[in-house]
Amino acid sequence: MHVPDTLPPVQAGIFSDEEPPRLLGGYCAACDFYQFPRQDYCPRCLRGLQERALGGTGVVYSVTTVRVRPPLGLPQPYAVAYVDLDEAPLRVFGLIDPGQCESIRIGDQVALKVLPVGLNQQQQACLRPCFYRPTHQE
Amino acid sequence: MVAILGAGVTPFGKHLERSIVSLAIEALQAALQDSGLPKERIQACYFANALAPMLFGDSSVGQNVTAAAGLDGIPVVNVENACTSGSTAFYLARNAILAGECDVALVLGAEKMCVPGFGLINSGASELDTQMGLVTPASFALRAHRHMHEFGTTPEQLAAVTVKSRHHAALNPLAQLRQTETLAQVLASPMIADPLTRSQCCPVADGAAALILTSADVARGCRRAVQVAASILTSGQYHAPQDLVRWETDYRSAALAYEKAGIGPQDLDLVECHDAFTISEILHYEALGLCAPGDGGAYVEAGHASLGGRVPVNVSGGLLSRGHPIAATGVAQLAELVTQLRHEAGPRQVDKCRTALAHCMGGDKAGDTKSCTITVLSRS
Repeated sequence: MHVPDTLPPVQAGIFSDEEPPRLLGGYCAACDFYQFPRQDYCPRCLRGLQERALGGTGVVYSVTTVRVRPPLGLPQPYAVAYVDLDEAPLRVFGLIDPGQCESIRIGDQVALKVLPVGLNQQQQACLRPCFYRPTHQE
Repeated sequence: MVAILGAGVTPFGKHLERSIVSLAIEALQAALQDSGLPKERIQACYFANALAPMLFGDSSVGQNVTAAAGLDGIPVVNVENACTSGSTAFYLARNAILAGECDVALVLGAEKMCVPGFGLINSGASELDTQMGLVTPASFALRAHRHMHEFGTTPEQLAAVTVKSRHHAALNPLAQLRQTETLAQVLASPMIADPLTRSQCCPVADGAAALILTSADVARGCRRAVQVAASILTSGQYHAPQDLVRWETDYRSAALAYEKAGIGPQDLDLVECHDAFTISEILHYEALGLCAPGDGGAYVEAGHASLGGRVPVNVSGGLLSRGHPIAATGVAQLAELVTQLRHEAGPRQVDKCRTALAHCMGGDKAGDTKSCTITVLSRS
C-alpha cells in the first residue's frame, strides 16, 4: 500500500518515524514512572516527563471488534485492544490493523505499524499506529 | 442522619416534545407531593445534567429549572460528573445538610439525549483513547472478553443479565424496555462490540428524577422517611496497568461504603447497580461482594440476582431496561431504593427490604472509571 508521507499523525509525538515504528511515551527517572501518552508532568512528583521510546511489541490483554457505525472515519468493523508492552510496564489501548480485525486473540504477540486509517479531529485523513500479528506466527 | 422524604421519577424513554426543564419539573412535582413539604421549604438545589452543553449548547441549566419552578434566590449548584452526575448531586446535598448549611435540599437529575445522530458515548474528544476508536461499548466489551478468558464466563451468562433485567422492567411502569426477551433473542440481537449484542447495552433515554433530602430534625415523625446510612464518592487511579476484571476502583469504593455504613454485603436486601452493559453488572456483583471474584456469571445464571433471589439486583430494570438518561440515573436508582424500603413497589416489591445499596459509575479514563458513587439507605 502506498503510504503518503504527507499525512499527519492522529496526534503528534505518539510514535517514532522509523521502521519499525515505536510508541513514544513519557518517563520520570526520579519516580521510575512510565506513561503513555506522555503528558507534560509526572503525576507523582510533578516534574517534567522525558520522552521515552516504549518499543512496539507486546501481548494482547484483551481485544474486541466494534461493528456499529464507526467514529472518526474508522473502517467498519474495526478492532481495538489493550496490549501489554514488552519494553515498558504499560498496558496501552490501541487499534488493530484493519486487515486483521477478525483474527487477533488474547495472548497473541503483536507488533506496531503505522497506517493511514480514518480521520483526525480536523476531519483530515491521518496516520494511526496499529498493532498486528506478524505473519511468521500463523 | 440525613433522611429522604420524597422521591419522584418521570417515565424514561423518548420525550421528543419535552424540554429538560419540563421533565425536571415533572419529577420535582412528584417528589414534593411525595414528601408532603411545600416547595417553599427547599433551601438549596443540586441539579445534575451531563449532556446539555454538548447537545444543546445550554449550560448551568439548574437555574433554568429553579426559575421555572419559582425557587428563586436559593443556592443552585450545577453538577456534571458523567454517569454519576445525579448521585454526585445527592452526595453534595447530603454533605450540605450534614454541615448544617440547610435543612431541606432538592436533588434533581435531568437529561435529554434522544436526538438524531447521537452516536456512542466516548471518553472525551481530545483523549487519545477516543482518537484511537474507544467508544464506551468497546471499553466494556474488552472487559467482557477478558472475563470470559480468565473465568470461563459464557455468552449465555452475559445474556442472562438482560433476560433478568427485562423481567424486572416488565413490573416497572416507568421503565423504557418492558418486553421480556429470551436468552436466544438477546444473543441474536445485532452485535455492537464482540461479545456484547445490542440487547446487552443500555438504551439512550430522556427523563428526570428528584429527591427531597432533609435533616433528621425535619424528618422526625415522618413515617415514610428513609435514612441515608452512607454516601461516598471516589475517582479512579490512572497510572498503573489496569486489571479490567478485578476493578480496583469498584472494590475500593464498595469497601469504603460498607465501612462507612457499618454493614457488609450479607446485610443487603436490594442493590441497584450501574448495569450500563451486561458485563458491568457481573463485575459489580463481584466488587460489591455478592459473590466471589470471577463467579458473577454463575451468580446471575443461578437466579441469585433476580427478584426472589438472594440479593435482587436492579429490580427497577436498571440501566439496561429502565433506560439511562445520564444525569437522571443516579437519582432514579435512589428513588427505587426509597420505594422499595417503604414497601410501596407493588408487584416488584422485594420481601423484608430494610437495607439497600445504590452503585453508580461514570466516565472512562485510562482503563478506569472517572467516578464511582455508592449510597446505602435503610428504613427501620
